[in-house]
Amino acid sequence: MTIAAEGSLAQERSVGSRRSRFMRPALGLLLPVTLALVWEIVVRRGWASGRLAPPPSVIFSTFVDLARTGELQRDALVTLSRVAAGFGLGAVVATVVGAASGYSPTLRRLLDPSLQALRAIPSIAWIPLFILWLGIFEASKVTLIAFGVFFPVYLGLMGAIQSVDRKLVEVGRAFRLSDLEMVRRILLPAVLPAYVISLRAGLGLGWMFVVAAELMGASEGLGYLLIDGQQLGKPAEIVAAIVAFAIVGKATDWLIVLAAAPFLRWEDVVQHD
Amino acid sequence: MLVLDRVGKTYPNGVHALGGVSLEVELGEIVALIGGSGCGKSTLLRAVAGLDPASEGTVMLDGERIGAPHEKIGIIFQEPRLLPWLKVSDNVGFGLGDRPKAERAERVITALRRVGLADKAGVWPRELSGGQAQRVAIARALVPRPEVLLLDEPFSALDAFTRTDLQDHLLDLWTDAKPTLILVTHDVDEAIVLADRIMVMWPRPGRIFDEIAVDLPRPRDRQSAAFDFVKRRVLTALDHSLNRTPPNTALEQRAEAGAAMWW
Repeated sequence: MTIAAEGSLAQERSVGSRRSRFMRPALGLLLPVTLALVWEIVVRRGWASGRLAPPPSVIFSTFVDLARTGELQRDALVTLSRVAAGFGLGAVVATVVGAASGYSPTLRRLLDPSLQALRAIPSIAWIPLFILWLGIFEASKVTLIAFGVFFPVYLGLMGAIQSVDRKLVEVGRAFRLSDLEMVRRILLPAVLPAYVISLRAGLGLGWMFVVAAELMGASEGLGYLLIDGQQLGKPAEIVAAIVAFAIVGKATDWLIVLAAAPFLRWEDVVQHD
Repeated sequence: MLVLDRVGKTYPNGVHALGGVSLEVELGEIVALIGGSGCGKSTLLRAVAGLDPASEGTVMLDGERIGAPHEKIGIIFQEPRLLPWLKVSDNVGFGLGDRPKAERAERVITALRRVGLADKAGVWPRELSGGQAQRVAIARALVPRPEVLLLDEPFSALDAFTRTDLQDHLLDLWTDAKPTLILVTHDVDEAIVLADRIMVMWPRPGRIFDEIAVDLPRPRDRQSAAFDFVKRRVLTALDHSLNRTPPNTALEQRAEAGAAMWW
């Protein structure tokens, strides 16, 4: 292949990738936008009542109303702070325990069986106990969220440390790294991609648990909006709260991806996000 | 001087991989270990490296006993084993963690220039070809200036052209500080091009079967008659080692006629 032809091929590829970088998010929005449009048309035409399943226009106006009164922001912020606190607590504990169990077989044999047993219990089952122990206010909610965040992060990190390529560990041994240096210079960087994924999984579970916690008794928060919408017969409010969950939840996940991206540039993957 | 005294290795599962190898290697010598699979050559190398210490016998370097990885001993593996989260320059400088930053940077760039990859200093390992990655691994092993460099089939994963290229390159690098090299290989040509002495090993358990001195001046011409002669000697020894019969004149004669079958 001549150099000129190679150059034009490279150019084609870069133009193609520029086009596809725009196409990718656009493609992701295609399905929901289409469905929303279809439903809007169906209700407008009177083929469906739109009472129990409000069309996008009604949801949107409810959304705007809630935002205008400041209620939406306040509830979103309350829920977000609960998730943040629970995530922080759960992730930190899980990182410490997961790292220790991953590195030390003795510790793993000591702790893991009990933790796996706890993990097997359906999460919602803990709510009555936590309420009894910690009351119905913030402590029980944050603890529940932390509990939910703990297991994916613990499991992910422990598994990742155990799967670190033995060949790379040997390089560390050949260069006579101390235990601490081995963890810092080889194990931690090696597990970073899997660790980030486990954090995102933990965060997702945290959002799930905050809904459960707020459904069980809250006077503010997006979960409270759900219950409020149900008790007052306002489906639009429920859906608006759900949409708010989706938006804020996705935003927090995106924050993790953004924060981790510069530390993961080295990965040998098919495609970087 | 590196002295191996009746080094043996039996694994916990009962496999008797090495059966008492004794060897003396002078400083600056290049020794090649060659033999069929299961003859313990990698096991021996790893015992010297301190990665899998021997279960019998001793390894001594300059009078000091080696039982764990030592700062005077470097090792290069069959795969480059570069740390994927570090750029090439950080990989090369990996063994210099306790040195001041300026000294590290200077030694790294010198090493990279020496292996012809100065322009790849800021590149991720995933972007390198196999040959380039192995060259970076060599640079990484040489930067701490080890007295002994162990190479465990370093070029076996590369294509033939890259292999001969890197063999010549390694020899060139060796002339800088003349470390002691112990090379494990299954490539006879490679052993003859590089080594002063070739130790032919035989398996189950691994022992040294024969020692062949390569008295040719360097650089060695792979096409020369002298090279060919040594090669036939080595192939014969390998053949005998696998048959486990001691060399006798009848067999030698058959081998001289070119009937030695290595593969």
